[in-house]
Amino acid sequence: MNRALGVAKMQLINKWTFLGIPAVIITGSFLLSMVIWALIPDSVGVKYSGAGQAVMWYFFGLGIQSLTLSFPFSQGLSISRRNFFLGTVGLFTVLAAGIAALYVVLGLIESATNGWNLQGRMFAISWVADQPWFIQWFFYFVMMMFLFLLGFWFATVYKRWQATGTLVMSLSLAVLLVGAIALITLQGWWPAVGAWAITLTPASIGVLALALVLMLGVGAYLTLRRATP
Amino acid sequence: MSTSIVQVMDLRRRYRDVQALDGVSLSLERDKIYGLLGRNGAGKTTLMSILTAQGFASSGSVSVFGEHPYENEKVLSRICFIRESQKYPDDFKPVHAFKAAALFYKNWDNALALQLAKEFQLPMKRRIKKLSRGQLSAVGVIIGLASRAELTFFDEPYLGLDAVARQLFYDRLLADYTEFPRTIVLSSHLIDEVANLLEHVIIIDKGRIILDDDAENIRGSAINIAGTSARVESFAAGRSVLHRESIGALLSLTLEGSLTAAERREAQELGLELGPVSLQQLVIRKTLDAEAALDGPSPDPVEANPKITRTGASR
Repeated sequence: MNRALGVAKMQLINKWTFLGIPAVIITGSFLLSMVIWALIPDSVGVKYSGAGQAVMWYFFGLGIQSLTLSFPFSQGLSISRRNFFLGTVGLFTVLAAGIAALYVVLGLIESATNGWNLQGRMFAISWVADQPWFIQWFFYFVMMMFLFLLGFWFATVYKRWQATGTLVMSLSLAVLLVGAIALITLQGWWPAVGAWAITLTPASIGVLALALVLMLGVGAYLTLRRATP
Repeated sequence: MSTSIVQVMDLRRRYRDVQALDGVSLSLERDKIYGLLGRNGAGKTTLMSILTAQGFASSGSVSVFGEHPYENEKVLSRICFIRESQKYPDDFKPVHAFKAAALFYKNWDNALALQLAKEFQLPMKRRIKKLSRGQLSAVGVIIGLASRAELTFFDEPYLGLDAVARQLFYDRLLADYTEFPRTIVLSSHLIDEVANLLEHVIIIDKGRIILDDDAENIRGSAINIAGTSARVESFAAGRSVLHRESIGALLSLTLEGSLTAAERREAQELGLELGPVSLQQLVIRKTLDAEAALDGPSPDPVEANPKITRTGASR
């Protein structure tokens, strides 16, 4: 039997973590949004809801959890780090692909029914929903992968170098970010940055995020290679 | 013929200021029960972690089933090592942990797992993180036994188990081992309890192997002798005394080596009592000796004696 597949099955033994809770979050946030839309008078026009993000943030936590607790257990069952990585990230890739497709379908229904007859906007975010369906799907998929792998990598760094490592990494990222802002400000590049930002589309952001996702994935794998339970 | 399945050469592992393993060399043979004995912090778990590729060595070589175990599924699929402080996924119940183990061990015996769970009175539907220490140990013990891995490590498996459960574990281990022979490494500091199970004993202290021998040889390597002080002293004259314990006019000595038939008769004529030495006593002696040797030049034997007596009396 392929042991990476076994890892995916192991992560699914308790259906709640990977399937049940995301389903509850999506359904719950949607129903709550419906109630709120119904309470708002129709005169305001389109009623936006940001609740579609909720499940994506859960994936950030899931990335952390699937490493911190499942990894030591997988080591106890003598599963190689490579197969643990492939099985866990592979399972999440399938899940993200599925939920991204669900978002596209719900967005289409939302547009077709005038926001569930309540003028609501939760899945068909206007900037994204204008795009062809496969760009929408790609955008959602990459965002979910990004958050999951970010959590996964952070947890791997913590597992390997504990709090010091996580602190050093967070601080380095912050220094890089502030440095970049300082550089742009000192060089007077903001107008150029603004002009560039306007040209961004879901597709180009998706491609940028995909590059980040690949970097995070490689980084997480290399960090995990020497992590101990 | 016995074949070696684990070979370790000059293994070292350093954690910041602690030398956890300090030049360990050993080999493990197929289908034997090993006792990996030593004090807390002696390096038992570190050694087992490196053998199972859960941990990393600073230097030295490891070969398990002829290959290095790191990221090597061919080797890893034949190993099971549930550590004493094993972590489980947050939402897992024992039933989930067993299902997971069944996915990865081709010889997994689910009927055995269920029967053991019943015998250990393990609540299968309670979250693992809510289990008591003993129940947590039982989960690890059951995975270790039911996985039937060719090389199985038990890391202080009895922690928190009550006397009945511990006996149950020893009985089941022996019964299953008889039916399905494999190499078992039992790490322990409760030595007398597991002594009868062990075929081979490895004692580790401060990261060094201080004894690596068949249990039979070890048991025959010393003898206890007790009686009135004067008679015991005269009988023991010229022999190397491992341990000395006196109560009033009575003296009990642990002598190194074995007695000849003639010597046994002589002891009996003197009214001395002869008895076997427990593995635990020997381990304590060896460990203390090794530590004394490490702590610098050993004081002369007479000086050392009061210390020995104190150790013995405090048991």
